Amino acid sequence: MRLSIYRYNPESDAAPRMQDYDIALGGHDKKLLDVLMRIRETDDSLSFRRSCREGVCGSDAMNINGRNGLACITAVSDLKEPVVLRPLPGFPVIRDLIVDMTQFFTHYNSIKPYLINDQIPPERERLQSPEQRERLNGLYECILCACCSAFCPSYWWNPSKFVGPAGLLQAYRFITDSRDTATRERLAYLDDVYRLYRCRTIMNCTEVCPKGLSPSHAIEQIRVALLRESS
Amino acid sequence: MRLFHGQRAWVLQRLTALVVLLLLALTAATLLIGPAPSYERWHALATSAPGAVLIVIFFAALCGHAWVGVRDIVLDYIQPTALRLPLLALIAFILIAITLRVTLTMATHFTVGA
Amino acid sequence: MPAPPRAAPKFLNLAQIRFPIGAIASIGHRISGVLLLISLPFLVLALERSLRSEADYAALGTWLNSPWRALLLVVMVWAATHHLLAGVRHMLMDIGIGSRLAQARMSAWSTIVAALLIALLAAMRWLS
Repeated sequence: MRLSIYRYNPESDAAPRMQDYDIALGGHDKKLLDVLMRIRETDDSLSFRRSCREGVCGSDAMNINGRNGLACITAVSDLKEPVVLRPLPGFPVIRDLIVDMTQFFTHYNSIKPYLINDQIPPERERLQSPEQRERLNGLYECILCACCSAFCPSYWWNPSKFVGPAGLLQAYRFITDSRDTATRERLAYLDDVYRLYRCRTIMNCTEVCPKGLSPSHAIEQIRVALLRESS
Repeated sequence: MRLFHGQRAWVLQRLTALVVLLLLALTAATLLIGPAPSYERWHALATSAPGAVLIVIFFAALCGHAWVGVRDIVLDYIQPTALRLPLLALIAFILIAITLRVTLTMATHFTVGA
Repeated sequence: MPAPPRAAPKFLNLAQIRFPIGAIASIGHRISGVLLLISLPFLVLALERSLRSEADYAALGTWLNSPWRALLLVVMVWAATHHLLAGVRHMLMDIGIGSRLAQARMSAWSTIVAALLIALLAAMRWLS
């Protein structure tokens, strides 16, 4: 299999370059991550993040043939050769396919990704009806891999101000949670030309989410909630 | 006070779009069905009280709509503030000037009861 | 995590990114919007001229006789149609109609194709 991979070592390279690899695949090399691990057998200078190797940890997000995805759940058989691998678009590159996620997580923290409830906690737990619990489906599954935000032009142009699809999906996860009492504050925080309203609903986020979630739908729901709030 | 609003601009963009859409449909229904209208018919329609008012509303809505769109483009692609603010001021000036000019034009043509 | 060096590179070469159809419909929305904005002053001038006299009104009709002007108008027909259809698409999606991915892909394709078709019809009428 032929691959062309983005290489950059801040200690030795003045600028990034592309390096070609020709790799003979073994019988168990089913996913792109398997191929990357095989390259590492001959070239251990190639750097990328990986952990669970089954699409749960969200570490190995990268740009694969022009679209963002997780290497561990991308089938080799679906890929056109040469397979071109680049780091997540718009994120500062630390080394090879490893990007700096600091800003991404700053946005995640900014939407207060935890339950806020000022009422006295009940003895056992805060119960939800099945319908209330149902509303969290499609939101709580996010693994924060950043495939979506790194595929969003609005995030590329305003990475320090636009919360981005991943952060907004999480924001809605708490806005719609029946146990959360800070809905109004959360919405007020997002009523901002940058934080929420940079989104133009092109749906690149939903196109690339490896978990099949729809950040664009969450954003749509936040805008509707804001409309209700102000009318 | 914030210089740029979130929801307010978003709503304005959609309301003005609806106004433009509605007036375009109205125009299409009255003028574009059948042969091209004669000068007399067009002139009478456009300078009647409802016609003149609708034309002014149409251009005002277009300008309001254009403002939000251009503002979004500037906020996305033009990052230096020193460039941004003069550019936005210029565009706002042009859009206001267009609205005023259409208002004045229609006012001079305006004939009561035509 | 070590701090990245001051001038950390970024990969953001738009030619090497494969854009989904929704993104292409959206950039068309933007480009057509700019074209419409540029045409706005000329639209005002045309309105004024059309009301000035019968001869001026008739002159607007013969404006199309030059092929270059006709071509310009075909471009504007594309811009207006694409912008309008893409705008209606967005407003429907705002209220939850067609905002699922499969439907949104379909409507993005339809918008692009319909606007090009209508521009083609305009070209056939004015450029032949």
